[in-house]
Amino acid sequence: MRPAQLAASEELEDRQLLARIARRDSRAFEVLYDRYGRPVYSLAMGMLRDAGGAQEVTQEVFLSIWRQAAEFDPSRGSARSWLLALAHHKAVDAVRRGRMRAAEPLQETKTSDLDVVDEALRRVEQGRVREALVRLPAEQREAIVLAYYGGYTHQEIAGRLGIPLGTAKTRIRDGMIRLRGTLAGVKEVAP
Amino acid sequence: MTHEALRELLPAYALDALTAEEAREVRAHLETCDRCPGELALLQETATRLAGAPVQVPPPPQLREQILAAVRPQPSVVTIPRGWAIGLAAAAAAVIVVAALTAARFGQQVAQLQQRIAAQEQVLAILAGPTAQTSVLAGSIEAGVKFVYDRTRGQGALVVTDLQDPGRQSVYQLWLVAGAVPESAGVFRPAPGRPLVIPVRADFTRYQAVAISIERAPFGAAQPTTTPILVGRI
Repeated sequence: MRPAQLAASEELEDRQLLARIARRDSRAFEVLYDRYGRPVYSLAMGMLRDAGGAQEVTQEVFLSIWRQAAEFDPSRGSARSWLLALAHHKAVDAVRRGRMRAAEPLQETKTSDLDVVDEALRRVEQGRVREALVRLPAEQREAIVLAYYGGYTHQEIAGRLGIPLGTAKTRIRDGMIRLRGTLAGVKEVAP
Repeated sequence: MTHEALRELLPAYALDALTAEEAREVRAHLETCDRCPGELALLQETATRLAGAPVQVPPPPQLREQILAAVRPQPSVVTIPRGWAIGLAAAAAAVIVVAALTAARFGQQVAQLQQRIAAQEQVLAILAGPTAQTSVLAGSIEAGVKFVYDRTRGQGALVVTDLQDPGRQSVYQLWLVAGAVPESAGVFRPAPGRPLVIPVRADFTRYQAVAISIERAPFGAAQPTTTPILVGRI
């Protein structure tokens, strides 16, 4: 099978699994965990850099899937997308909770932001995504990495970088449109 | 906010980079707008690529067990026709389920820890009593199973430190044996990698033994249908 066909058949299987999970099929849940436990855990690890926190997030994600599988709507995107968006959402919540506990000072030097971006980029191993990020203009890359992997809101990004909110929004938007263009058509095979 | 202003927030929404209030407004708009959901779907596909990009690391195996155990069908309470009920919800097998759900729901590991500590304290309290006794169960299989109990206070607990998984179709069932008549004290499954504590409240002066047999999942049987694999005198 060509990769595109493979991805399409996996998507079909994912949808069937979610439909079975919505009917409380714990065997389907097990198969889904074996498919997505690793990417969900890896995303949480990449963002939290803490095994205990990543485990907590992974657990939250899968128990949410168990409860909310019926809410998945195939007309609004792929099952993979829905699952990983849920995972990202929970990981962002955990990052923000951790930041509140640590009472991190709101204003930090620009160097530390660059460190955050560099560190996050180092953890991006998927070749095409990494390449697409590296090819973005530096200020767009910084905004997207801080938002997605750093869990910062656009207002926080504006504050940290000392730029107007409108500029932060523009950088995120332009960066996302450019990323979409670079990544469209080069589909990776789902892990 | 206007359609145009909300549409401009979609990229940040796909990255989870909006404040809670902004995200609510976008969600409300998505319900009524006929163009924005399609645009968001494309942005979310891009975000999905970012999600799958970090270095892939395998999650620890015990996490799989913990998560799957939380959704496995489990009987919650077993009522015994002698007027005393054993809250099997308090049994550690169920404790793990409850704790896993609680931890997920409230983002707390505290509850999980407290439940485990509560179960341990219960055993310690029984052991600390001057009239406490311990019976080691033995039989046809290698296992680490003890029954600690206090006759005067009517409290006991089955402590399972090592017991093989009975398989998907089966459960272990605990029996209190009065003369030749076994009475069910609940069903359980061993918790992989951690001790299991099943509290049992009963008038132990009435019983001479505790026994464990393998029965059909999930509810066990009214009377043992197989020869007990482990027995301990009390």
